[in-house]
Amino acid sequence: MTYDSYLFFAAYALIVLGIYLLFPLKYRWTVLLGAGALFCGFLNGPVALWVLACAGFAYVSARHLTTLQDRFAKEKKDLSKDERKALKARYTRRKKWTAAGGIVGALSILLVLKYCNFFIGQINPLLSLFGVTEGIPFLSLALPMGISYYTLQAIGYIIDTYRGVCRAEKNFFKLLLFVSFFPQMTEGPIARYGQLAPQLTEGHRYSNENFTGGVTLILWGFFKKIVISDRASFMASEVFDNSASYGTFALITAAVLYTVQLYTDFSGCIDIMSGTARMFGIRLPENFRQPFFSHSVGEFWRRWHISLGTWFKDYVFYSVSLSAPFMKLSKAASAKLNKFLAALLPSSCALLIVWLGTGLWHGADMKYVVYGLYYFLIMFLGSLVDPLGAKAAQKWGFDRKKGVFGALAVARTILLVIIGMIMFRAGSLEEFANYLWGIVSRVNYGELTGGVLLCLGTDTPDFIVIGAGAVMMLIVGIMKERGTDVLQTVAKGPIYIKWSVMLGLIAVILVFGAYGPNYGPVDNIYAQF
Amino acid sequence: METILEILAEVKPGLDLSSETELVDSGILDSMAIIQLVARLSDEFDVEITPVDLVPENFNSVQAIEAMIRRLED
Repeated sequence: MTYDSYLFFAAYALIVLGIYLLFPLKYRWTVLLGAGALFCGFLNGPVALWVLACAGFAYVSARHLTTLQDRFAKEKKDLSKDERKALKARYTRRKKWTAAGGIVGALSILLVLKYCNFFIGQINPLLSLFGVTEGIPFLSLALPMGISYYTLQAIGYIIDTYRGVCRAEKNFFKLLLFVSFFPQMTEGPIARYGQLAPQLTEGHRYSNENFTGGVTLILWGFFKKIVISDRASFMASEVFDNSASYGTFALITAAVLYTVQLYTDFSGCIDIMSGTARMFGIRLPENFRQPFFSHSVGEFWRRWHISLGTWFKDYVFYSVSLSAPFMKLSKAASAKLNKFLAALLPSSCALLIVWLGTGLWHGADMKYVVYGLYYFLIMFLGSLVDPLGAKAAQKWGFDRKKGVFGALAVARTILLVIIGMIMFRAGSLEEFANYLWGIVSRVNYGELTGGVLLCLGTDTPDFIVIGAGAVMMLIVGIMKERGTDVLQTVAKGPIYIKWSVMLGLIAVILVFGAYGPNYGPVDNIYAQF
Repeated sequence: METILEILAEVKPGLDLSSETELVDSGILDSMAIIQLVARLSDEFDVEITPVDLVPENFNSVQAIEAMIRRLED
């Protein structure tokens, strides 16, 4: 996204809001639908086609699911318990096939466009083992922006309908709006139907609080992205792209800067999108909750990209864990292992599937598979040793989340996350290994005293701006952790305070934004997924 | 209630969870622990716990777990 496109997005959102408010309440959702369609056009023509296909699969599948549900409710009346059980089993089977059809349909678009070449790349070496020299040719397919987000959202809707959590939407265009609400099309957050759809279609009146709350959040997002992320990106890229020329301290600094970059890039963009939605009176789900205050990696992933984590938890982890084969595995494990391991084994197998999926969701590359396995291993080992920690804490009477132990747990989590970030940023697994080896083997104290760290492609003031920005984020984060949402308090406060804060943020973005000849606009990292 | 507490102690050894009312919200029970708990509860009480039942409200306290089991037994 370039700075022009930020301005474009802000202007677009304001124009859409103006038109939205001109329409009668009952028809305001049509403005959002039109805005989504037009936005698809701005992103890339064919995006609209994929969104339409995805919504089509979800619509047909969910409608049939609700029909089956209604038929079952009607037919089960006046039946005996056994007859009801048999009827339920029959309908459950039909519902499963219907849901599977919709899910496979929606997923197939994503699989073909995003993973086709990855699988071809895995199959070709196998074919060569059998003497097939001419492997399957790679396809030249463009990945539509945001496809990984709206596909998961549509699949979530199908599963919710299957589970009876919601009923199918009768109006196709209302469902299409749920899949194509323009602020969340490129980077999510991935919303649930029951949570978002009613807000989109009910029509909202203008509210000062929503408008200023939304604008403040948007400006905060721009601050994170333009002032911190893009500046950190410039410095991190310098080291990551020339990692062989740098020693331990520069490599560690760049890894920390990349972590800051990714967090401010993604959470900043989500703030912009959530702020835009809020101007319309629509609340998008929370996607970040101060992840760097986590005491464990598991907790980190419950606070980072929350909507993706809960999606995988609710629709993959729980579904797999409670499936018949896994319940059988659980029973078999109970018979042969001690109670703790018997309970841990099946859930760990399901967790492995989740992390392979989460890794691959981030990209069609072996690097992301290993990235998923890395987090799986940490969590699995964490579950294994957690009881020991609990017993030690009980025996010696300390709280693992407070004081020195709490601080050490947070530091350990941040360290493990930064290692994950290096893998995420490295071009390949080999680059990742070389980077880690560089940290361990190229200790050069001259980097600390010679000023290398202060001129990683830029100069000292850049470090000061990033440092000051990080401190600001830290203060806002600590206050939120303690129950005070500074941005929303400002939005609800007296007019002179909210305008001072908004104008102040605009001034900071204009003065300290990473513009000028040294910088280039940086694409949103998570928009490519 | 006693049985549920025993199962909880197997899944989360070393903790006294009898008076906890935010087992899920405070992060004591994560999704891994919930699945381990569900496997043992289904076995012990012969109930079918589905993904729809896996919401924090059903697992935040021993009483909530007991209420869910009673509901599913009916």
